[in-house]
Amino acid sequence: MAHQAHAYHMVDPSPWPLTGAVAALLMTSGLAVWFHFHSTMLLLLGTILLLLTMFQWWRDIIREGTFQGHHTPPVQKSLRYGMILFITSEVLFFLGFFWAFYHSSLAPTPELGGFWPPTGITPLNPFEVPLLNTAVLLASGVTVTWAHHSIMERERKQAIQALTLTILLGFYFTLLQAMEYYEAPFTIADGVYGSTFFVATGFHGLHVIIGSTFLAICLLRQIRYHFTSEHHFGFEAAAWYWHFVDVVWLFLYISIYWWGS
Amino acid sequence: MYYKFSGFTQKLTGSAPTAAYSPQGLRPAIPAESPTMIFATPTKMVSEAGATAEYMGANRVPDLQRLFQTSDGIPVHLKRGVPDRLLYRTTMALTVGGALYCLVALYIAAQPSNK
Repeated sequence: MAHQAHAYHMVDPSPWPLTGAVAALLMTSGLAVWFHFHSTMLLLLGTILLLLTMFQWWRDIIREGTFQGHHTPPVQKSLRYGMILFITSEVLFFLGFFWAFYHSSLAPTPELGGFWPPTGITPLNPFEVPLLNTAVLLASGVTVTWAHHSIMERERKQAIQALTLTILLGFYFTLLQAMEYYEAPFTIADGVYGSTFFVATGFHGLHVIIGSTFLAICLLRQIRYHFTSEHHFGFEAAAWYWHFVDVVWLFLYISIYWWGS
Repeated sequence: MYYKFSGFTQKLTGSAPTAAYSPQGLRPAIPAESPTMIFATPTKMVSEAGATAEYMGANRVPDLQRLFQTSDGIPVHLKRGVPDRLLYRTTMALTVGGALYCLVALYIAAQPSNK
């Protein structure tokens, strides 16, 4: 490696921005072709290309950080800023759905019967499965903190166990939500109640799945000795993301499930 | 970590705490004068000793660091050799092929229908 007199990461030329851009082109064109000509070929091609790009790009970031040592303290600082900005943008994304929900529910239109939940809607009981889901996510917040402290204290075995438990709790939440969707007495087509409910909780569910995947990658990396007690930002980013998903659920539970019913 | 005298290697080796609390005593095979203590392995802290360090596989990170830090001018996405090249070429082929196929599909979609 050539001598460099600073601590910043000079990246190698990479093909992944190009392949990712083409994947985006194929997926959007693929959607249009699917809608108009009933062919999923282009969409499938785009999805495969996107998955290949994601796998190889993130694999290279692990190589750069863990194996080549490019993630020096100033580089880690930038990674932290990046993750903070990303989560902030996600907070604003969810703020939009809460805005839609409160806009519709605080002053229900005459078409809804002038009250909330609207006429004809039987909401889910917030003290059944949704309360269990709240407990599951809060418990997973505890286990992810246990995993973090285990990594910091070099407790390899405990870190693996705590991380596994966190992921299992995440899967349990997803399973419960899937069952709740299946059992729900209303659909996404049932007016503004159905659309705000399923769009908000659906995007939250998607984020839980993404967070579980993120944590599962961290578990794999922990098993392979990628994290040290001092340097484990990949895990910390996953933990931040997981806490964000947890907090969004608390707002969803209080607003849509409890107050909204 | 606890130590005991191994009659087999004639050196100190690791042992379970219970073994350390029950003294081995003098056995016929062992000379009355204890031999110079030689540690079988360099002494380690409890946290990095023995079975815990091997929990769920050995640490291959140092080997991978050596591999990925060799200065051979190969970019990071191809540094691991054949599997990397295979995956890269598949991705590139799909990128070029997909882009061309997409242009054709969009061209066809842009033609006016004869209805």
